[in-house]
Amino acid sequence: MRVLIQLRATPQLRAAMAAGGPVPPSTTEAAALVPAGLVLDASFEPVPMPAPRLDDGDGRLLALSAPMEFSTAPGDVTQLVRGTIPDDDSQTDVISEAISHPGIVGVFSDPVVENCLTCIGDPPVGNSAKVAQLLEVPKLEAAGMTGQGVNLAIVDTGINVAHLRAKGQPAKLGAGKHFTPAGVTTDPGKHAVDHGTMCAFDAGIAAPKATFLDHAVLLSQRQGPTVMSGLLSDALRSYAKLRRILDAMPANRKALVVSNSWGMFDPEWDFPVGHPGNYSNNPRHPFNVTVASLEVAGADILFAAGNCGRECEDGRCNFRRRPVCGANSHGRVLSVAGIDTRRQRVGYSSQGPGRLAAQKPDLAVYTHFRGSGVFSPDPDGGTSAACPVLAGVVAAVRTKFSATRLPPAALRSLLTKTADDLGGLGFDFDHGWGAVNTTALLDALNGVPAAARRRR
Amino acid sequence: MTVELDPGAATVAAAAERLGIDPARIDAEFGVVSIDPERHLYSVLVDEEAASGAQGRAGVEGPFSNPRIEPFGPPRP
Repeated sequence: MRVLIQLRATPQLRAAMAAGGPVPPSTTEAAALVPAGLVLDASFEPVPMPAPRLDDGDGRLLALSAPMEFSTAPGDVTQLVRGTIPDDDSQTDVISEAISHPGIVGVFSDPVVENCLTCIGDPPVGNSAKVAQLLEVPKLEAAGMTGQGVNLAIVDTGINVAHLRAKGQPAKLGAGKHFTPAGVTTDPGKHAVDHGTMCAFDAGIAAPKATFLDHAVLLSQRQGPTVMSGLLSDALRSYAKLRRILDAMPANRKALVVSNSWGMFDPEWDFPVGHPGNYSNNPRHPFNVTVASLEVAGADILFAAGNCGRECEDGRCNFRRRPVCGANSHGRVLSVAGIDTRRQRVGYSSQGPGRLAAQKPDLAVYTHFRGSGVFSPDPDGGTSAACPVLAGVVAAVRTKFSATRLPPAALRSLLTKTADDLGGLGFDFDHGWGAVNTTALLDALNGVPAAARRRR
Repeated sequence: MTVELDPGAATVAAAAERLGIDPARIDAEFGVVSIDPERHLYSVLVDEEAASGAQGRAGVEGPFSNPRIEPFGPPRP
């Protein structure tokens, strides 16, 4: 067991520390415990600890809620050294020796500390109601921003409307605007309850009245080693259809939000970087070209950053570095990282830099919460959930601001400029520009100058 | 493969002619998919042998990878 030994500073120890040279812990009173089983850490020189002043009033010593004073006088300061003691019964020998030694104040645990990021397998942190609260959905609703009349495409494994309605969401489905790969026998809105349904639920948190377009690309029969994988060419066909839908919209109501919670886990599935046919790093790959084309035409496109975060990555990840790649890192999309409802980055959220655009991800949005129940008891998790949550916010904004009035690039800029900074100062590769700040976003949309927003 | 075609004639036959291959070598089910209407660019699926034969022709780019894609969630350890 790791321990800290608190020592009364003898005149010899005080003198040695005052001299400024190295003070081996073996020269301290702690050495008396070595025969009993203490193993001192020779690399850890004594650390001075100020002494709390005794309270001579009615207060209690070391009552942390009360004002405290500490003494740094040489005669009051104690010293800390560290080491290990046995874990078996002989541990009591060390403790007994320490208690009886006049130069030793006490023996304390020295536990291992590590980050407490939410990781795969952890229980949900909060729920969809909390997410709605954090996104200030009532403010969006008060502003008439509900997603009403906005097409929101979920490019995924398909949506099950019955499940969404059973969860209390209106779940409106667009007519004639879906994409179902050849060979799939279920109809749009009636696909199996799975990942795509989760994404639709999460988009509905901020945009409950959006019109879903069910693009079940990942149900493609073109395998794909698993049932829920497809090929990028299937996404090409989906995007071609989305372009036709967008082009048919009148200019004053042009609004199409496209949420994509998928990507490539393994570079082995791609040509190597530098090959002219590569996808991950190549803006000329046809899918990256079509993403750019659709965005220029007026679509808001969002991609999950991925679940290959360094701290606790998805087991399928096989990128040694820079996992945010291909369209997930495209300069014309919003690349979405994941934070839990405590606004702490989830340990599996992929970190930048991106490969197509370095400054990725763009924003950090809520995930790992109890929501759709699709994978219950597991949460709506991954950057898969974060992406449609943000797509819902975008769709909510589009209720009042068409893409003609506010082009996708301008909306991305407003989202990032009004975000609450997380992590390091300014942009960082864990959180992007930070978390959505709905109040600041609404102010910016309404033309309130930034300086006035900061004074609020 | 990416192929530049006349939007009024974006057919498998036209793509095959541009690529210099037999139309049967183009995946008919996938067809000719628009990727950039402004620049008249389309995507077709062909097998690797046909792709290598079409490389370097005017108005043609590729071959490009067609990698597997998967949903990111639920995350798995």
